[in-house]
Formats: sequence, C-alpha cells, structure tokens
Amino acid sequence: MARRKPAGDSDDPEQQHDRVFHALADRTRRRLLAALAERPGTVSELAAPFSMSLPAVSKHIKVLERAGLVVRTVDGRLHRCSLGAAPLQQVAAWLDPYRQFWTDTLDSLARYAEQEEDEP
Amino acid sequence: MTDSITLTVRRTIRASAARLFEAWTTPAMLKQWWGPQGVECSDAAVDLRVGGHYHLDNRLPSGEVLRIEGEFEVIEPPHTLVYSWRLGPGGSAERVTVRFEVCEGGTEVSIVHERIATEPARDQHEHGWLGCLDGLVTLLEAG
Repeated sequence: MARRKPAGDSDDPEQQHDRVFHALADRTRRRLLAALAERPGTVSELAAPFSMSLPAVSKHIKVLERAGLVVRTVDGRLHRCSLGAAPLQQVAAWLDPYRQFWTDTLDSLARYAEQEEDEP
Repeated sequence: MTDSITLTVRRTIRASAARLFEAWTTPAMLKQWWGPQGVECSDAAVDLRVGGHYHLDNRLPSGEVLRIEGEFEVIEPPHTLVYSWRLGPGGSAERVTVRFEVCEGGTEVSIVHERIATEPARDQHEHGWLGCLDGLVTLLEAG
C-alpha cells in the first residue's frame, strides 16, 4: 500500500491556506467531505449520491486532495480516499473568533431574556 | 457566486420565540444585551422591513467602536430573520440567518453565519475583535 504525496503540495502556509479555503468554497466538495467524515470510500462510492459524471467528481476530489483535505491510498488498482483532518483544524481555528463571538452573544441574550421571564 | 465558509451556533433559551424576536429587533432592547461580554452596544438602529437598514455599534474594551451593519433580506416574526452583515468600513457582505424554534425548555436560537470572507476576516481580527475576545478569555479566567 503506497501513500501518494498530494499533487502541487507546497510548504508555503499562505498557499496552503488558499487551497484549503478554495476547496471548501464549493457545496459538492463539502458534501464529499461530509461523506468521508462518515467513512473512507473509493471514488465511485463517493460519486454514487451525486448526479454528475465520475470524472467530474474525481476532479472535485483532486481539489480536496491538493488542499490536504483528502488523503488517497492506492492498493493495487483500488484508490481509497479518506479524510485529511489537519487542514480542518486550521479552518476551525480561523472560525473560532466568530464562534466565540456568537456563543458569547447568545449567552448574553439568554441572561437578558431569562431574567425578564423570571421577573414577570 | 461561490459560497464560502459557514458557521452555525445554537443555544436554547428559556423564553418565548416572540420575546426573543423582539429582543433581537428592538434597538432599546439590543442596547441592553447585544454583544459578547466586555463589548457595549453603544448605539443600535433597526428599520425592520425587507431592504431596511440596521446598524449595531460595538464599543470594545479598548474604546474603539466597530459598527456592524446591513439590510434585512427575510423577516418572518417570530421565527426567522435573514440579513446582510458588514463589519467595519469596507467590510465584505456576509450573511446571518437567525431562527427561533420552539423546543423543550424554551426556544432554540440558531445562527447561521455565511459567506465568511477569508481575507477581510483577518483584517477584522487585527482591528480588535480578536483583542476583545482575548480580553474576554482573560476576564473569564480571572473570575
């Protein structure tokens, strides 16, 4: 079993960042990632729920692969894809200030609204 | 247009959907609760109709005021609000959907924040959001 180095891989963190966000800025690719989060699969298995051609899905998977979001292992003629989680952590870190902002703002709304409910 | 990064946050609050909808759309009430701890809502204006403009001024602990503003796209009281969201001058248009759904124990408030721009977001953080949240963390840890 051989692990392929992702095509176009580069050590530049900014370029890596761009590739991750570009890869995520597409509904089909996000659905592919959601499927991979459930379980690894072959390209044809992944393509099955989509009403698009195998080459079209394969192209989306390549974009994800370049971003490091998909890791492909080759076992004989079988290409199996699995989720590459590390770049997702990067995205989570990016979104963290937004998440904190909203979580905290909703806490504040709860304090305000629940206090009013308690004091009719 | 390409859709970009989306964030979803949920919270159950022990109050009616109508009450929460009102709190979310009434300036006098927004001034009392809006924003994370440490941020004061120094001014709020809401023109509650489709296409109507709103703004929320957020005074950070540093004294800097950041204005969030946009226009309403969908208004369905007391369950749904959709509006554009721009942070600071020249901020790119993001979109926020707020839903108030009756659930066990009160109302589930869900926020879907879409079209989070990856480049301007970094500038926003440099302008103080992040600093304000860092301050918050310090505050919580100290308490």
